[in-house]
Parts: sequence; structure tokens; C-alpha cells
Amino acid sequence: MLKMTHLSKVYRTEVVETYALRDFNIDVKEGEFVAVTGPSGSGKTTFLTIAGLLETFTGGEYLLDGTDVSGLNDNARSKIRNEKIGFIFQAFNLIPDLNVHDNVEVPLRYRGMKAAERKQRIMDALERVGLASRAKHYPAELSGGQQQRVAIARALAGSPRLLLADEPTGNLDTQMARSVLELLEDIHREGATIVMVTHDPELAARAQRNVHIIDGQEVDLAEEPRFHADPSAAGSMA
Amino acid sequence: MNIRPIFSSLRKHRIPTTLIVLEIALACAVLCNAVFMIGQRIGDIRLPNAIDQAGISVVTVQGTDPDHARDVIARNLATLRAIPGVQAVALMNTVPLSQNGWNTGFTTDPATKGFDDKYVNVAEYLITSGGDKALGLHLFRGRFFHADEYAAGTLGTSFMPTGHAAVITRSFAARMWPGHSALGKVLYMGDTYSYTVVGIVDNVLRPNRNGGDARSFSHSVFLPVAPVESAMNDYIVRSAPVDRDRVLRASIDKLSKLEPAAVVKGRTFSDIRNAYFADTRSMAWMLVLVCAVMIAVTAFGIVGLSSFWVGQRRRQIGIRRAVGATRGHILRYFQTENFLISSLGVALGMILAYGANLYLMQHYEMARMPWYFLPIGALTLWLIGQFSVLGPALRASNVPPVVATRSV
Ligand SMILES: Nc1ncnc2c1ncn2[C@@H]1O[C@H](COP(=O)(O)OP(=O)(O)O)[C@@H](O)[C@H]1O
Ligand SMILES: [Mg+2]
Repeated sequence: MLKMTHLSKVYRTEVVETYALRDFNIDVKEGEFVAVTGPSGSGKTTFLTIAGLLETFTGGEYLLDGTDVSGLNDNARSKIRNEKIGFIFQAFNLIPDLNVHDNVEVPLRYRGMKAAERKQRIMDALERVGLASRAKHYPAELSGGQQQRVAIARALAGSPRLLLADEPTGNLDTQMARSVLELLEDIHREGATIVMVTHDPELAARAQRNVHIIDGQEVDLAEEPRFHADPSAAGSMA
Repeated sequence: MNIRPIFSSLRKHRIPTTLIVLEIALACAVLCNAVFMIGQRIGDIRLPNAIDQAGISVVTVQGTDPDHARDVIARNLATLRAIPGVQAVALMNTVPLSQNGWNTGFTTDPATKGFDDKYVNVAEYLITSGGDKALGLHLFRGRFFHADEYAAGTLGTSFMPTGHAAVITRSFAARMWPGHSALGKVLYMGDTYSYTVVGIVDNVLRPNRNGGDARSFSHSVFLPVAPVESAMNDYIVRSAPVDRDRVLRASIDKLSKLEPAAVVKGRTFSDIRNAYFADTRSMAWMLVLVCAVMIAVTAFGIVGLSSFWVGQRRRQIGIRRAVGATRGHILRYFQTENFLISSLGVALGMILAYGANLYLMQHYEMARMPWYFLPIGALTLWLIGQFSVLGPALRASNVPPVVATRSV
């Protein structure tokens, strides 16, 4: 589903070159639920933005669903984002000027979907996250957990094959974090491929597989014992 | 693009939206009326005036002794005729566009009593023999006056000459006898004065517009008089345009010497005309300036607000891009939003424009604005809107999708 080989991403400013990713390799199979962990600044978000075609990369190869994405133009990338990928962000990223219903509708409109089908999908998605009764509310009127569930509904409504989540529970308390994770597990059970970046070892432990990124490189924890020295990591990865 | 969500999003930004809608409405109202008024003024300046505008000079003599008017006038006319380059000379009571108005009224019905609305207001030009040549009038139908008709005209104590022949302009003929030939018809003023129309000339403007519409600006009647009247001050001196300025100087010079007690002044007809239209011209330019300022203010307002909104919504644009919007979608979003705002402004603006025109008609002798000014004004503002929003909208479409994740 998602395969990166020798991938690198360099951010250049006038003064410095930062390797956000270097010689990065990952292979996520169709239907997998992968948790990506790693210290702050290690390149997790960078990995996710490249995986989700929000950004281009500097070197290496990235096959999404078997297609080499480096040759795609901006419109083709937009179309793939719209049809195949669902995003869930740490900051929810709802559009404050639109109510819940209209927020969920945004990607469907870009797909050019008929009104009747849009309506059906929006109601289904909101039902799914338990917010059907809040369709007319604005994001500011909802709690953090509710906002994140709206964001998940927005991602779900388009039936994406790949769900990318960047610290989806980072801004939520434990209770809400759990319910969001349960929702993701549900979605995974129905066949979606999920890649979730998280700080939280407890959440990471519930994924099928963990990928650890340090300094822009994927690290196999089993072969890198020095990371076991970190007590928090050691506790949760056991 | 989909209008409903754009609309509901705008409702969340009511104050700036309302302000820009009002600005567009105001611009629409001002532009429609100003352009209409400019058009009217240009129309006035362009009105045909079938006399030899480039060859005529007008020399005015004031202070002639009324007891010797007959001799003085005859001597003056002879003197002017003798100046080399002079083609024709005549005496008149006033000249077109001189602001020295002589107005009267005629009816086609001798039974009409008093000055009621059956009288049509018209400029009265008294001319002496050769006046048709001195002015360079263009005969359309009929003839100019015979010598006996000139001889029969004297003013006496009234401002209407004795005598019974008249030459009138085409516009006045059409006004008095629409659909019929005016030749041989009679103009009446009560039962005291009557003039048979012997000739019709191409339109000649009045000394001033006298509050009428553009058509009545050409309602003029020429009546023949003998050169004996001290009320007649304007000597029309016609020459080739190249000789005009020299002829004018010589005319003033000679007449001043003949009659040192009188005040002799002269102007070319071009000067008279320019002086008449100077206000019209400066008014038209002022209106052009008003339009330019209005367009600039509106355009800057739209550019300013759209730029502000693009900045404010940078993150939202990134989110839209992240969930699948193409650059084209984002561009169209801002264009559609502007179109909606412009439409509201234009709808209100057309009502305002119409209302302003009605108000001006009631209070300032303004004509009715033709209906098509409204859609043209609307279209103009739509275009100004689309043009102004293009820059900010393009900037918006270049916001990269990664903004959704990065600028927390
Ligand atoms: N737009 C950017 N310009 C320059 N450096 C960047 C940019 N985005 C990320 N980086 C750098 O790349 C590295 C990886 O960042 P990121 O992927 O956000 O890490 P994480 O999500 O694991 O905290 C960091 O050193 C960060 O400072
Ligand atoms: Mg991050």
C-alpha cells in the first residue's frame, strides 16, 4: 500500500540544511495498522506529509498503492488525496466558518459527488462517530474530543483506503483519547490501512506494528538496545 | 463551485462583507449616474450648430446714441464690409451660445389666449439683411428673406418685430408641426403677432440651454429686421478662418475709432463657444475623476479585504488542499465568493442608481437615465470585482497543502 525506499527529505533555509528524513525505508501492507513513534523533531510529521502527498520529497522512491508518485502533477496529487487518503490531524483542522455537516462535506464536494449521495455519506459518517445530532453545530461549540470525531467523520465520509493520523489524541484527555482510538480500531477492522503517529506508548501498543523514527531514520528497536535505556519506551514496548 | 457553503461562510463575516457590499453598491450608483451625466455633457458639446463656427467673429457695440442709430449702424456695417477678407456682415440681437438669451414663445393656434402651455419656448434671433450669409446658415427647405421682408421689420416698443416672415430650425419645425411640413404654416403670439414660415434651416443652438432638454436647445427662430434698432448690438463678421483673427482686430479697431464714446468689444465665435462649454467640460472631467476615484476605491477595497481574508484563511486553505482541493478549486472559491458579494452590491447598487437618478430629476433638471445603464453598470462592477480578486485568489491557490499540518 505504502512503500518508501531510501527516501530523503531536506529542508533548506539560507543558513542550514535539515535532513528531516534520510535513507528512510518503510513498507506498510494493505490493511495494516501501523503506529509510528519517535522523539519530537525526529521526522514523524514529515514522513506523514510525504506519505499523504502534502509535500514532495528530495530523494529516493515512494510507491503509493503501487504507483510511483514522484511523477504526478499537482492536480493528480489532489485527486489522490481526495479519493484515497483520509487525514486526521492533531489540531483537528476543522474549518471554523462551516458547521459540522458542511465540514464533513468539504472533501465530497471536491470529488464532485451528487447532493443525494453526499447527504447519505455525511449522515452515515456522523452516525458512525456518534455526532449525527450535532450536524448544525459549529466547531467552536464542540469539545476537543467531539471536534476530533468530526474530523474522523470527514476522513471517513470519502471511504479512503489509507488513513493517516498525526498524533490524533495529542490534544485530548485520556478518556477521549481512548474513544478516538477505539473508533480507529473499528475503521481498521473494516479494512482500512491506518498509519498513526503517536507520542503515547499505550496507544502505540494497540497497533499491529510499531515503527520507530529517530533522526529521520527508521529504527528497529530490537536491534538497537540503546533505546531500551529510555524507561518510558522500555515499559510500553515490552 | 458550490454556492451554499460559501454563502454560509460569508455569514460568519458579516461586518466586512456588509461594508464591501455597500461600497460596491455606492460605486454602482455613482458610476451609473456619473457616466450618464458625462454622456449628457458630451452630447451637449457635440450638438450640431449649423453656422460657420470657424469663420465668425462677433463685435459688440454698446452706447450707440439711439437717436442716430440708423446712421451709425449703416456706417458701421459699411466699414466692416470694407475690411479686406470680410465675406459677409450683419447685425443681430444676440448670437448662439453667447449666454445673452432672447426667448419668446409661439403657438400654432391664434385662438390661444395668454401664455399657457400651448406656447413653445424658442430662441428669437433678429437678423438684418445678409444675416443668412453672415452666419452661414444651411437652408433645408424654402428660402431666406426677401429685401422687403427685412424692410418691414422694426421693433418699436416691443421685442417682437413687425413683419410676417420667419425662418425656423428643423427641431423647432418638428416640435410645432410633427409629421407635417412647416413651410407656409403660421406661428402666432396671441392675435398681435404672426409669422409665416418661409424657410427651414439646419439646427442652430440657442444663446443658452434655458433649462430645456437637448432637443429644445436647437429651437430657434430667425426674424428679419431693418438695421435701425439700438437694441441690436452684435455685428456678425464672417471671413475665412485664416483671416478671422486679423479681421476681428481690424473690426474692433475701426469701429472704436468711428464711435469713441461707445464700448466696442469683440470675440471670435470659437471663443464664445469655448466659454459656453467651459463649465460643461470641467464638469465632465470632474465626473470622470469621480468615476476613477470610485473605481479605485472599490478595487482597493476588494483587493484589501480579499488579501486579508486569504491571509486569515491560510490554514483553512491548506486544509482544503489537504482533503483534495486543487489549485483551481481554491481559485474558484475566492472568485465565486467575490461574485456573490458583487452580486449583492450590484443588486443594491442598481436600486440606488435608479433612486439617485429620480432624485436628480426632481431637484436638478436631470434627464431620465436609460434603463440599460443599470445592467452595464452591474457588469462593470462584476468585472472590477473579478479583476481585483484575481491577485489574492491566485495567492490563495498557491498556499501549499502542507500548511494544514505545519502552522499550528
Ligand atoms: N518547513 C520546515 N523547514 C525547515 N525545517 C523543518 C520544516 N518542517 C520540519 N522541519 C524540521 O524537520 C525535522 C523533523 O520535523 P517533524 O517531521 O515535524 O518532526 P516530528 O513530527 O517527529 O516532531 C525537525 O528538525 C524540524 O525542525
Ligand atoms: Mg510532528
